Amino acid sequence: MTSPFAALQRQLGPGKVLLSPAERGNYRFDGIQFGVRPLAVVLPETVEDVVAAVRAAKAAGIPVVGRGAASGLSGGAVPLQPSLVVSFTRMTGLTIHPERREAVAQAGVVTLSISDAARPHGLVYPPDPASFRTSTIGGNLGENAGGPLCFKYGVTGDYVLGVEMVDTDGEVHRLGRDAYDLTGLLIGSEGTLGLMTEATVRLVPPAKYSRTLQASFTSVEACAAAVSAAVSAGAVPAKMEFMDGACIGAVEDYLGLGLPREAAALMLVDTDGDDPAQVEAEMQLVEAAFLAAGGQVRRAETETEAAALWQARRSVSPALGRIRPLRMNEDIAVPRSRLPQVVAEIRALGEEYGLPLVQFGHIGDGNLHPNILYDPRSDDPAQVHELAHRIALVALQHGGVLSGEHGIGSMKREFMADAVDPVTAEAYWAVKDALDPDGRLNPDKLLPPRPTHLEDSHVHS
Amino acid sequence: MLHAIDACVHCGFCLPACPTYALLGDEMDSPRGRIVLMKDVLEGELSLHDAAPHLDRCLGCQGCVTACPSGVAYGELITSFRGWSEPQRQRGLLLEARRAAILRVLPSPAVFQAAATLGQVAKPLAPVMPKLLRPALDLLPNRVPRRNRLRAFYPAQGLKRGRIALLAGCAQQVLAPNFNEATIRVLTLNGYEVAVPPEQGCCGAAALHTGDRPLALGQVRRNLAAFEPQEYDAIISNAAGCGAGLKEYPAVLHGLPDQPQAEALAAKVQDIAEFLGGLLDRGELRPALPATRPLRIAYHDACHLAHAQGIRREPRELLRWISGVEVLEVPRGELCCGSAGTYNIEQPELADQLGELKATSILSTQPDLIVSGNIGCHTQITTHVGRQGGAARVMHTIEVLDLAYRGEL
Ligand SMILES: Cc1cc2nc3c(=O)[nH]c(=O)nc-3n(C[C@H](O)[C@H](O)[C@H](O)COP(=O)(O)OP(=O)(O)OC[C@H]3O[C@@H](n4cnc5c(N)ncnc54)[C@H](O)[C@@H]3O)c2cc1C
Ligand code: SF4
Ligand code: SF4
Repeated sequence: MTSPFAALQRQLGPGKVLLSPAERGNYRFDGIQFGVRPLAVVLPETVEDVVAAVRAAKAAGIPVVGRGAASGLSGGAVPLQPSLVVSFTRMTGLTIHPERREAVAQAGVVTLSISDAARPHGLVYPPDPASFRTSTIGGNLGENAGGPLCFKYGVTGDYVLGVEMVDTDGEVHRLGRDAYDLTGLLIGSEGTLGLMTEATVRLVPPAKYSRTLQASFTSVEACAAAVSAAVSAGAVPAKMEFMDGACIGAVEDYLGLGLPREAAALMLVDTDGDDPAQVEAEMQLVEAAFLAAGGQVRRAETETEAAALWQARRSVSPALGRIRPLRMNEDIAVPRSRLPQVVAEIRALGEEYGLPLVQFGHIGDGNLHPNILYDPRSDDPAQVHELAHRIALVALQHGGVLSGEHGIGSMKREFMADAVDPVTAEAYWAVKDALDPDGRLNPDKLLPPRPTHLEDSHVHS
Repeated sequence: MLHAIDACVHCGFCLPACPTYALLGDEMDSPRGRIVLMKDVLEGELSLHDAAPHLDRCLGCQGCVTACPSGVAYGELITSFRGWSEPQRQRGLLLEARRAAILRVLPSPAVFQAAATLGQVAKPLAPVMPKLLRPALDLLPNRVPRRNRLRAFYPAQGLKRGRIALLAGCAQQVLAPNFNEATIRVLTLNGYEVAVPPEQGCCGAAALHTGDRPLALGQVRRNLAAFEPQEYDAIISNAAGCGAGLKEYPAVLHGLPDQPQAEALAAKVQDIAEFLGGLLDRGELRPALPATRPLRIAYHDACHLAHAQGIRREPRELLRWISGVEVLEVPRGELCCGSAGTYNIEQPELADQLGELKATSILSTQPDLIVSGNIGCHTQITTHVGRQGGAARVMHTIEVLDLAYRGEL
């Protein structure tokens, strides 16, 4: 059988269109989920290559899935039906405009390299997903990625000034925020509305000073109360990271950093700014609030000490890998006041299912990552899946949302029906149908099932 | 093998550490891609023939191992996969002959000396040589240094503190005899007597990593017989690749009767920088004279030192310890220079691109001197720095120390 993309291969030249099974094999999964081997993979080097690829897919009536570094944790870049994958890893053009405090980055630019290139000009790009050495700016836009810094500095979407995108017909658009905020619409759209080929992002000068504190609490309630008290007192820390007792234990088992095993919650806090006195004053606010809530507090006096305190947080991933080979990294966000109940209910669920479960996250935003640890050879995947669903329901019951930063993708799509009311679902589908009428852009992702009456009209139109 | 594969959670953290991915931007040429290819082949989903091109491009640099948060033992994985798959490979006659020749010429100093001398004669003929042989010729130095046969024993100077065995290395003895000479001088000066067991041979790493397990096993056992670990304080290597190779012996002989001997030997193996760094840490290293002028030294992490053996701190500290020396960090230092054993000969185009990238990164630090701890890197960097018109010399860490002891740095 000749591939519908053999002609595209001839058109784009050697090495850009992968057709053999070996060459396509890796493009069937992301950081968490396996899907199906795509029909073909395109590695575009220019926007013209992307246009050609999208047109070829349209002519063949085949879905198109955009892909960055595939570090995603929600199955977003994974084809679920025979598709054309457009992988942006070779589009790595990057220009820094220090005078405008902007960077223009092609989709495949690795997130961290924007700051690396900007730093000599006294600027950085703040959004900092833990994957920023690997993930691409295109994927960050696709997921509206966040990170520890987002409590103070915001998420990807807060830094995007404009986007160049290729629509489902292969037309190129340059979107700013002049009329309708179509840029905003594309951010977090997980490749379901168009392929982004380039982004213009805002840069800021990095803070000159920072302070670090680690605190442990004997209950999650005390921890949540302490955080709320610190924020009410006016502190806006750069980072506020939370680890539950199980997570502390896992890291201790792995590295033996001397963390308090008996604690129910561990907090890591950074304050930063350009005035050392102010940075210190802000940290004192935090410290006072934490002490008042019964926290055990440790301050870092030097940069080395700060790095040592943060090592606990950085070691979470490898520590978990040693308990069970695989983990389902959940990503919910709830109002901060509900955190204690949510953490307790989720912990109880883990016990009910008999699966190891740890929780950590960006507490400033109420963004929690319950991680279910499992071994596909001995644990029942259906159980893991069911537990993930119950965790999602806990978030929704407490007025939270299904995703804080990792996106819905294919993993959490089925929970969307629980989360989105029918009227909103209809509005989402109206947008989708307007921009992608034949539904070929990353199908089976993000949106709740199409409302049935729309299903009819869609089929007839 | 499948167990190591399962440890990979496909997070992609290894991608930016992989030199071939940096050049090609294709996931199949990334660690994560290669792991999946191996899995697909082992599970019968994919033919070896289809997977081979991407697996062959792997340098074995283990940059991915350093980067992986889940501790995937990629190095062991690719080595055992190559050992498993090599007997099933079918190559063209010329390729096969070249491979066999490399694996047998490199390990023997005498044969390599002859080949290198012959190669020098052939060098001017390179343009008319078969394309497959040209990269091998390019690799040879323009002048082969005179070969000094090493004695079997060198006494300690002054008070004797211990006894060392030296792994002399193969091609290195021919290309850079001074590495061993400097090593012996520095060690004896520090009160160690140095034995160079004459029965020793190639460490076996080249054969092992290219999948010739039978050849490798023979070489490994020869060394097990040659070195008596209990007689020495340490068995020292000054070639990162060979040192890593010796430390791998227990894994190579895993489950075989001579595994305990391999473990005893591996426990004594240290890289020269690791050993001297230990002396430095304990304040036992004999003082060296300051550099005669301020020196900016770009230190290049050899993959088999940094990634395979985890030795990064000691060589830098040894260099910094010499007063007047400033150690410079090379941008994107974790990326392999493209030398990687026989890679230069098997994948000349990629090796060249990586060498070029590495030379550019190194020269961007504007060094007076370039230092690394491995003969392969040494040759590759010398070639590419030269091509870019860089004037800085490339030296081994031990050569720098040796000069410092003599007041000639
Ligand atoms: C260990 C680990 C830690 C992580 N930590 C964080 C974290 O702290 N915060 C966070 O937010 N995420 C985190 N992530 C998740 C992941 O890294 C982010 O979602 C990241 O933004 C994905 O980028 P990517 O380039 O890998 O995109 P991919 O995974 O390739 O794609 C993500 C989505 O974007 C779409 N897409 C990709 N490129 C384009 C494009 N050019 N145009 C249109 N759509 C596109 C894809 O179709 C897919 O739906 C983590 C992941 C791992 C493995
Ligand atoms: S970093 Fe490790 S776990 Fe992640 S994809 Fe690479 S090998 Fe697999
Ligand atoms: S060993 Fe080096 S070349 Fe091979 S996959 Fe790992 S990083 Fe890439």
